[in-house]
Amino acid sequence: MLEIRTLVKVYPGPVAALQGVSLEASRGMLGLLGPNGAGKTTLMRIVAGLLEPTSGAVYFDGEDVAGDPRRIRRKLGYLPQHFGFYPHLAGAAMLRFLLVLKGVHAPQGVKRLADELLERVNLRDAARRKVGTWSGGMRQRLGVAQALAGDPRIVVVDEPTAGLDPEERLRFYRLLAEVAEDRLVLLSTHIVEDISVLCPRVVVLTGGRIVADTTPRRARARLEGAIFEGAVEKDRMADLADRCEVTQAVLIEGRNRVRVHVPDGAPPEGFEPVAPSLEDAYLLLTRNRGAENGVAPPAGAERVAP
Amino acid sequence: MNSFARWAAVARRELSSALRRPSYWFLFGILVLVAWGFSTGNVRISSGDATVGGERAHITSVFAQSMFQSVLITAMGAWFLAIGAGLVLIRDAEHRVGEILHSTRLTVREYVWGSFVGAAVAFLVIWGLYLGLAAGFNHILATGEDARHIGPFAAGSYLYPALLLGLPQIVFFAGVPFFLGAWTRRPIVVFAFPVAVLLVVLGFLVSWSPSWLDPAINRALMFVDPSGFRWLDETFLKLDRGVDFYNTARLPLDTGFLLSRIMLAAVGLLAVEGAARNTARRLLHGDTDSLVVGFRRGRRNQVPSVEAVSKPASPGTTLGELGMRTTPLGFLAAARTIGRAEIRELIVRPGIYLFVPLILYQSVSQSLFALGPFDAPLLVTAGAMAARQFNTLSLLVCVLLMFYAVESLMKERAQRFADIYRAMPVHTGAMLLGKAAGNVAVAGLVLGTGLVASWAVITVRQLLGNPVGFDLWPFLAAWGGVMVPTFVFWTAFVTAAFALVRNRYAVYGLGLAILIYTVFEMNVGEPLSWVTNWIAWNSLVFWSDMGAFSLHGRALLLNRLLYLSLVPLLLVLALRWFGRQEFDAIRILHRLRPRALLRSGLLLLPFAVPPLVLASALFFGGRAGYEGPDAEEARKDYWRRNVATWTDFRMPSVSHVELDVDLEPGERSASVSGAYTFFNHREAPYSRLPITAGPWEPIEWTLDGEPHEPDDRSGLFVFTRDEPLAPGGSLTVGFRYDLQRLRGLSTRIGGSGQFILDSGIVLSAFGPTFVPVPGYLPELGVDEDNRYDEREYPDDFYVGETEPALGWGGRPFTTRIRITVPEEYTANSVGRLVSEEIREGRRTVVWESDHPVRLFNIVAGRYAVAEGRGTAIYYHPEHDYNVEEMSSALDAAREHYSEWFHPFPWERLKVSEFPAYAGYAQGFPTNITFSEGIGFLTKSDPRSHAAFAVVAHEAAHQWWGNILTQGRGPGGTMLSEGMAQYATILLHEEVYGDRYRIEFTKRIEDSYGNGRFVDTERSLVKTDGSRQGDNTVFYDKGGWVMWMLQQEMGRENLLAGLRAFIDLYHSNSDFPVVQDMLAVLRDFAPDPEAFDAFTAQWFFDVVVPEYRLSGVSKERGGRGWVVRGTMENVGTARMRVEIAATANERWFDRGDAGGRTVASPSHLDARTWVELDAGESADFQVLADFDPERIVVDPDVLVLQLRREGAVFDFPEQP
Repeated sequence: MLEIRTLVKVYPGPVAALQGVSLEASRGMLGLLGPNGAGKTTLMRIVAGLLEPTSGAVYFDGEDVAGDPRRIRRKLGYLPQHFGFYPHLAGAAMLRFLLVLKGVHAPQGVKRLADELLERVNLRDAARRKVGTWSGGMRQRLGVAQALAGDPRIVVVDEPTAGLDPEERLRFYRLLAEVAEDRLVLLSTHIVEDISVLCPRVVVLTGGRIVADTTPRRARARLEGAIFEGAVEKDRMADLADRCEVTQAVLIEGRNRVRVHVPDGAPPEGFEPVAPSLEDAYLLLTRNRGAENGVAPPAGAERVAP
Repeated sequence: MNSFARWAAVARRELSSALRRPSYWFLFGILVLVAWGFSTGNVRISSGDATVGGERAHITSVFAQSMFQSVLITAMGAWFLAIGAGLVLIRDAEHRVGEILHSTRLTVREYVWGSFVGAAVAFLVIWGLYLGLAAGFNHILATGEDARHIGPFAAGSYLYPALLLGLPQIVFFAGVPFFLGAWTRRPIVVFAFPVAVLLVVLGFLVSWSPSWLDPAINRALMFVDPSGFRWLDETFLKLDRGVDFYNTARLPLDTGFLLSRIMLAAVGLLAVEGAARNTARRLLHGDTDSLVVGFRRGRRNQVPSVEAVSKPASPGTTLGELGMRTTPLGFLAAARTIGRAEIRELIVRPGIYLFVPLILYQSVSQSLFALGPFDAPLLVTAGAMAARQFNTLSLLVCVLLMFYAVESLMKERAQRFADIYRAMPVHTGAMLLGKAAGNVAVAGLVLGTGLVASWAVITVRQLLGNPVGFDLWPFLAAWGGVMVPTFVFWTAFVTAAFALVRNRYAVYGLGLAILIYTVFEMNVGEPLSWVTNWIAWNSLVFWSDMGAFSLHGRALLLNRLLYLSLVPLLLVLALRWFGRQEFDAIRILHRLRPRALLRSGLLLLPFAVPPLVLASALFFGGRAGYEGPDAEEARKDYWRRNVATWTDFRMPSVSHVELDVDLEPGERSASVSGAYTFFNHREAPYSRLPITAGPWEPIEWTLDGEPHEPDDRSGLFVFTRDEPLAPGGSLTVGFRYDLQRLRGLSTRIGGSGQFILDSGIVLSAFGPTFVPVPGYLPELGVDEDNRYDEREYPDDFYVGETEPALGWGGRPFTTRIRITVPEEYTANSVGRLVSEEIREGRRTVVWESDHPVRLFNIVAGRYAVAEGRGTAIYYHPEHDYNVEEMSSALDAAREHYSEWFHPFPWERLKVSEFPAYAGYAQGFPTNITFSEGIGFLTKSDPRSHAAFAVVAHEAAHQWWGNILTQGRGPGGTMLSEGMAQYATILLHEEVYGDRYRIEFTKRIEDSYGNGRFVDTERSLVKTDGSRQGDNTVFYDKGGWVMWMLQQEMGRENLLAGLRAFIDLYHSNSDFPVVQDMLAVLRDFAPDPEAFDAFTAQWFFDVVVPEYRLSGVSKERGGRGWVVRGTMENVGTARMRVEIAATANERWFDRGDAGGRTVASPSHLDARTWVELDAGESADFQVLADFDPERIVVDPDVLVLQLRREGAVFDFPEQP
C-alpha cells in the first residue's frame, strides 16, 4: 500500500512543485492526470526514490521510502518520462544488463527471458542492434519492458505512451492492465485517453495540489446532463465564452464545434445535450480547481509559501 | 539578424558559459600560483651570476617570458583547452540542443565557429589575466633589495611571446580537440589529445637533442614542436649567451619559425572547419553517432526493414507466463555485473587504444635512456626499469583514471539513463565499486601491458647481446605494492569529488590542479612530505637492486597504508554525496547546521581514525627521525656555538687511528670504540683540542687512557689537558658509543650519503657519521638561512702553507680498523686485510694501512668478488655485467698511473659497490666506493667504454686526491677532478687507442660547452666550486687543458713534470693548488715562453675558440685536388689548429679488436694548419692527392672548442 502524506517539494528558484500532496493507494491502476508543470513527474520521482522531498513522507507497505529510497527499489518497476540507454549496447544486451541488476530471473534463464520480453514489446527483430540506432518509439518500448520486468510490487510509469504509435499503445495498455491485476501501478499522463482506458481511479493534479481524486465514471457522472455541444461561428466564440463555460472547441470547416458546461441545464441556442467525457471533467477540474465543480481536493493539501 | 550577429551571439553564449565553468577557474588559480612562483625568481634562464650581488637573468625579459609561456601553455593549457573546447559540441549533443538551434536561421558554420571562438576566447581571457598578474607580481610586488631577477617593464616582453608562441598554440590546442569532439562525440578521445601532445612535446620534442643530431632534422623538429620551446632552446638558450644578451636583446624573428607558427594555427583553424563540415553532415544525414560508430555499424549491422521491426508480436502470451521472479543481487554480484559492463564498454571504446600505447611509449622509452654520472648511459635492469617508469606511469594513469572515472560516473546522466539506472535495486556502494573496479581494471591493463612491454624490451635487448635479464619481482613490488594503492586512492578521491560537486568540469579542474601542483612541488618547489605525497612521487628514484625499499621502506609503507586507509572514508563520503536521490536544497541547509554536521562528523569518525593515526605516525616519526627539526636544530646549535671560536683553528696531525666497529645492518646500528693518537707537528703547543662528534649518547671519552669529560659545545667536544700538547708531543683520545644511522623515519623522499642498511653499508670519516672528526667542521649546520658568501681569496693565497681540501689536516696517519658484520657480509676498509675470522655467525675483519692515509672509510655488503692484478672488484652478485671491463680498467689504471704519475704505495686497490641511495663514487685510499649506478650499471659498449671511463676516473683519485692531496682554495679541485679526467684521457689512449680517446675527449668537450655559464666562468686558477658551472670547469675543461698542455710540452715532459710535482707535495704539510703545479711543470717545458703563453690563456684566463668554415671549395689541380676556404675563430683563444681534407671512414668497427682502435686502410687525409686569434679569420688551402669528401677542423681533437660540429664541411656527393 502506498501512502503519501503532505508531500511538499520546493525547487530552488523558488518553485513549489508539490504543495502538500496526500494520497493513498493499494492495488490496481492509479492515474495521475494533470497539465504540464502540475507536479506529476516530481511526485513520481519522489515515489521512485529519485528525488528528496522538502517535507512530507511516502510510505510503501509501511516503509518510509522517501527517507530511505533503498526500501522501494527492490519492489519498483520504473519508467521515467525521459530516458535513454547505453547506446553502444545491443537491445537484448541492454535489457539483460538491467534484468541482472534488478535480480530478475526466470526458469528459462535471463537470456531467453530478455528475448521473450523484447518479443512482448515487439522488439524481437531489433534485439541485436545497438540501442543508439533505435527510434524513439523503440527505446520507449525497451523502457516499458524493463519497467515491467520481474515481479515489482509497484510500477511507476511516467508518460509511458509518449512516442508510441496507436498499435504499440494498445499493446502497452494490455501489458499494463495485466500487471495491474495484483499490484499498484502509478500512471502519470496528460493524455486523458490513457486514463479513461486503463485507470479505475484518477487523481488530478494541478499547481502542485490534488484537485480531484475520483474514478473516470464518477467524474463523468457528475457532469451528466450538464454538457452540451453545438456549432458556433468564429466571431461568436467570445460571446459564448462569456455566457457559459466552454470545455472544448474544435474548428471544423470554419465553424467551431464547441462543448459547453451548463450546470443549470439551460444550454445556448442550438446546443444539444451530449454524454460527458473524462476530458470534459479533466478540463473543468484543472481550470476551476475542482472545488467549484463539486470535487473537493483531499484534506491536508495546504499551500506552501514560496 | 545578420550572419555575423548570429555568430557573435553563439560566441558570446559560449564565452559566458565557459567563463563560469569551474575548470577555468581552477586553471586561473593555478596560474596565480605560477605567476607568484615565477616572480620569486626561482625559475629563470640558466645564465648569469648566482652569487650575492651578481647579475642575474631577468624573468621579465622577452626570452624568459617566451620560455615560460611556451612551456606553460603546452603543459597546462593543452589540458584545459581540450576540456573547454573539445567538449563543447559533445555537451550540446548531450543536451540535445542541436536540432532546436538548427531549426533557426543559425547555420552550422555560424554555430560551430561561434562555439569555437567562445571557448578559445575564454582561455585567452584567462591567459590575459595571467599575464596581467604576472606583470603585477613581477613589477609591483617583487621589487626591492632582492629583485635582481626583475628587469624594467616592457609590455612587449609579455605580449610578443603571447602572440608568437602562445596564440598559435592556443588555436591549435583548442581546434584539434574541438574537431575530435565533433567527430567522435567521445570525451575520452578528446582527452587523449593533450596526453599525446604532452608526451610527444615534453617527452621528446623539447628534450631530445643528442649532440649527433643532424642540424636539418633538428631544425625540422623545432618547426613541428607546437610549444616553440625547442626553437627557443636550441637557438638561444642551450648554449649560454650571457646574461646581458638575455636581458637586453630582442627576440629576433625567424622566417622559418614564423611560418611554422602560422601553419600551427592554420591546422587548428582547419580542424574547426572540419568540425563544421562534420556537424553539417550529421545534421543532413540525421546521424547522431560518431563517424567511427556509424562506420562500424554500417559494416556489422545491416538495419532491418521497417516491416521486420514493426512485425506484430505473437499475441496471447502474458507477462505472467514468463515466470519472472525477483531476487535482489548481492553487493558483490552487483558490483561484478556493473564492473563487467564498464570493462566491456571500455574495451570497445577507442580511448583505451589511444591512451595505452601513448603511456607505454612514454614510460618505456624514458626508462631506456637514463644517464648516470659523467653522462654515461645506464643499463636497464628490471628493477631500474620498473623504478624509472614509476613517476610517468603513476601520473599518466592517474590522469587516465580521472577521465575514465568522471566519464563513467557521468555517462548515465549524459545518456539519460540515470533515472532507470538509479532506480535499480542495487546498493549504491556496489554501483560505485563496480564502476571503480572497471576503471582500476584500465589501470591494471596499462600496468599489465607495461609489464609485458618491459619484459619484451629486456628480452629483445638480451637477445641482442645486452647482459641484463628480466625479473618479475621489482615490477610486483614497485608497481603492485606502491603504485596500485595510488590508483585505488585516486579513483576513490575522484569518485568522492564527483559525488560532491556533480560537475565534470569542476572535477577535472580540481584533479588537474592537484596533479599539476604535486608535480610542480616535487620537481621545482619543496618536495612533498610522506604525509602529503599521495602519489608516492619519486619514491622509487632511489631504487636499489641490492635491497629495494631498505632506506625509505617503513615510511613508504606507512604512506601507502595512509592513502589506502583514506579509501573507506572517501567511499563513505561518496556514498553519502552520490546523487542517486537528488538532494533537496532546503534539507541540505538543514544538514549544514552545526549540530547536524557534528553528528555526521561523529559518524565518519571511525573511518577517519586509521588515516589520522597513520598520518600522525608519519608526521611525528619524521620529526623525531634523522631529518627532523630536532636533528637540524642540533646541527645549527653546533654551528652557532662554535663558528666564531673555532673556524680557523688548525689541528695537530692524527698519527694513528685505532677503530673497532661492530655493525648490525638489520637494525641500522653500530657499536663503535677506538682511539685517535694526535701528534703535534706544529711549532706551538695545544692547550685545547676540539673534536666533532655525532648525536651519539652517551659517549664515553678517555684522554691518554683515562676517563675524561670534555666540554660539550653542542657536539664539539673540547679536550683540555693540564699540560698542553707540546710540539712533537702526542696524546690519545679514546671513545666508545652506540649509534644508529639512519635513525627513525625520513620526512620525505631523498637520498642519504652514508648509511647502515640491510642492503649495504657505506660510511666515511669525512664527517661525524660514524667516527668523531678532529677539529671544527665549518660546513656542519649550515643551510640557506646561515650560508655566507664564499671566501674571496687573494691571488697569492697559496703561498706558504695551505690546508688540505680533503681529509683530516696535518700529516697522513696509519689505521687499524676492526669491523664486525653478519657472516654473509664482506666489509672493506683502507689498507690491507690482516685478519678475518667467523664466529657465531659474525665475521670480523681487520684492515691495516700499509702506507699512511689521510682519510678512511668502511663499505660492506653481500658481495661477490672479482680479483685482478693487485686489484679487486666487490659487487652485488647480480651486477656482474661490467665487472670484467671494470676490473681490466682498474688493473690498467693501477699499472699505468703508477708508471705515469707515481708508484702505487699500497698493496691492493679495491672497488666496492653500494646501494644507489647515494649516487657518488669516492676514491678513499685503496678502498674506492661506487654507487651501483656508477660503473656497475653503466651501459658500456665497445664504442663508449663507459664503465672503463668511470673506473679510470675514480682510480685516478688514488693519485690525484690521495697520494697528492690538493689544497683548499681556488684551483685546488682541478688538481683532483681535472687531473682525474686527464688521466682518463691518457688511459683511453693507452688501452683503446686514438679513436676512443677522441670519443671521450669530444664527450667531455660537449659537457663543458653545455654546462658552462658564460657570465660566471672564471679561470682555472680562480674556480673554487662556489658558482654554477664550476664543476664542468674543474672536471672537463681541467682535463682538456691538461691534454692540450701535453701537446704543448710533449707527453714525456709533462709526465715527468707531474711526477716531480707529486714527489714534491705528496707528504708535504703544504697542500698544492694549480699554481704550484704550474711552477713545477714550467721547469719541464721545452719552450718556457710558449708554456707561459699557453698557461696565461688557459689557466689564468677564460678563453675557448669556436671555428667556422666558409667558402670551402675544391678543384682538381696538378696531380691532385686543391681545397680552399676560409676559417674564422668566432670564439676566443689563440691556438694552432689543423685542418684536414679527408675521404672515407677513418675507423673500422671490428668486433675482434677487443674494443681497440682499428684504423681503416682506405682512409685518406691531407692537412694544413692555421693559428687564429679571437675574431680572426684566414684563408687556407689543402693539397690532396685524392678527391676529398669532407673538411674537418682539428681532426685529432687536440684543441678544446665550442660547437665542433660547426667546424666540419661536407662536399656534396658527386652524381
